[in-house]
Amino acid sequence: MSTFDRRRINGPEESYPPLFEDGHDVGDAYANWKVGEPRQRRSAGDVRPIFMKPGLINQANGSAYVETEKTKLVCAVYGPRQSRNTAYSERGRLNVEVKFTPFSCTKRRAPIRDAEDRSVAVQIHQAILPSVRLELLPKSTVDVFITIIENDGLESCYASGAVAASAALADAGIEMLGLVTSCSSSMVGKEIWLDPTEREISLAKGSLVLACMPALGIVTSVWQSGEVKPVEAIECMEACQERCADIHAIVSEALLANAKVI
Amino acid sequence: MASISLSKSEKSYIQTSLTSTPPIRGDGRSLLDYRPIALEIGVVPLANGSVRLNIGKSTHEGAGGTEVLAAVKLEVEDVVNGDGVDGGRVVCSVSCSPAAYPHLSSNALDDLSYDMTTVLNQTLAHPSLRPSNLGILPKKKSWGLHLDLIVLADSGNVFDALFMAARAALWDTKVPVTRVVEYQAKKGGAVRQDDMDVEQESGLDTRQVSRAVDFELPDYWDEGETLAGQDRWPVCVTLNIVSPIYYLDATLQEEASTPLRLLLALSFPKTEAPTLKASRLLGPGEVELSQIKALVQDGEKHAGELFAALEAKLREEDVRRNQKARDRFILR
Repeated sequence: MSTFDRRRINGPEESYPPLFEDGHDVGDAYANWKVGEPRQRRSAGDVRPIFMKPGLINQANGSAYVETEKTKLVCAVYGPRQSRNTAYSERGRLNVEVKFTPFSCTKRRAPIRDAEDRSVAVQIHQAILPSVRLELLPKSTVDVFITIIENDGLESCYASGAVAASAALADAGIEMLGLVTSCSSSMVGKEIWLDPTEREISLAKGSLVLACMPALGIVTSVWQSGEVKPVEAIECMEACQERCADIHAIVSEALLANAKVI
Repeated sequence: MASISLSKSEKSYIQTSLTSTPPIRGDGRSLLDYRPIALEIGVVPLANGSVRLNIGKSTHEGAGGTEVLAAVKLEVEDVVNGDGVDGGRVVCSVSCSPAAYPHLSSNALDDLSYDMTTVLNQTLAHPSLRPSNLGILPKKKSWGLHLDLIVLADSGNVFDALFMAARAALWDTKVPVTRVVEYQAKKGGAVRQDDMDVEQESGLDTRQVSRAVDFELPDYWDEGETLAGQDRWPVCVTLNIVSPIYYLDATLQEEASTPLRLLLALSFPKTEAPTLKASRLLGPGEVELSQIKALVQDGEKHAGELFAALEAKLREEDVRRNQKARDRFILR
């Protein structure tokens, strides 16, 4: 196996995540759920409560921790610093790297960089790229490192990751056009459920993640997958944009509170 | 994205000519024109379905254009111990030939192929698109459909080419016919080989657990039956946005001077309304939600036209490969 890491103590070659008997997992509110029934535990347009703490990593120029129930991630921003490669570039480079911790999913993720890391990084990069004023940072690189501590669905990681990255960039004092916030949605039956969990996405026929700068009304990223009618997709985008404005208030409040403490 | 480097003045030159009235493009097309698309199915003899597609081959020189080769291979996968999924699965991968991107380092090339793979895989491997005839033995064995695409040359609009090639290759795919085999012990007797029973007789009895243990490949005149859900595979249109206009089928130079692209993959099932299978916004440009709404509506129209054109060509290719080949055989 080429992905064998000889510097680590590797576990057994084959291992399986534990499988619980039916009914053991009391937390599954969707065990007897059928299409057409209402959403469990919250209404369709509600998002999970968001906790945000900027500036908790001292050595980084800027950082942020975001927690929305079972999605927990931390983001650190280093830079702007001189680009390592010698080629002259007029605009700065924005470099986003995402890592899942080995214990972030139900099945253990090997600590080797795998396929999914990059796809999350690419989405977060797209979400924050239009907001950062890279034209002011020639010859420099801004590094954004995101560590996903707990994962509750890719869509949720895209959304929370973009929010955390934008807050961390603001915390680092890097010039931006506006704060980027992001919200995910899924089409379940004929309803739009905002901020779905991994379980809810498995029930959905399609999902959409929108990232925007609510202060300027500019959309920075649209990611959609699955089966959604064009009209429904537009409804999803509208619902997400409305919720992004609320998230914007939370982020700016958290940033302000952090700035006052210092 | 992968683009050639252009000077600032050249970029601005292209942008200005695109936004002027009337818009001017380097090759004389209007904003919504595609370059000529050529495709041929069944080009890889060992694959279950294959296609070679070219966008923008110049008619005089016979070269140039974006060229994509796509091939489908089916593998029997074990559901219990292997990677298989009950009912079959679809896996896509895109690799970019270094010949198509000579200016990229091998790392950058890997990242690029990886990003393309992600877009295709997230769209085509979604459970909502899974074909219904990929199962072999329920809960034991299934077909794993591997769709591999190779970008042989890139002169712009590679995503549209990839999705079109994927659709054509999946259209061309033949799934070998399998028959489930089970063994029954005779009452009070030993197991004998000739007591082989075919699933079709007892398969309707859902109370009992399927005793099917293996499968066989019956002799079949053709290579197999066509992959189910032929009309569901999406096509993609890339809307290149240079505010306030957008245009289709960008060349490499135009791509390099366009700040924002909207990818829309739509599927047009025969009996239902069209559905969006994927959408992505790429690039550092700015766009408002009201603009996106208009773009999605227009995109649906353009994708519908592309879909109809591709459908007509695929049917023609089917005739060429089957009917005409048969006629030629008889004449010989």
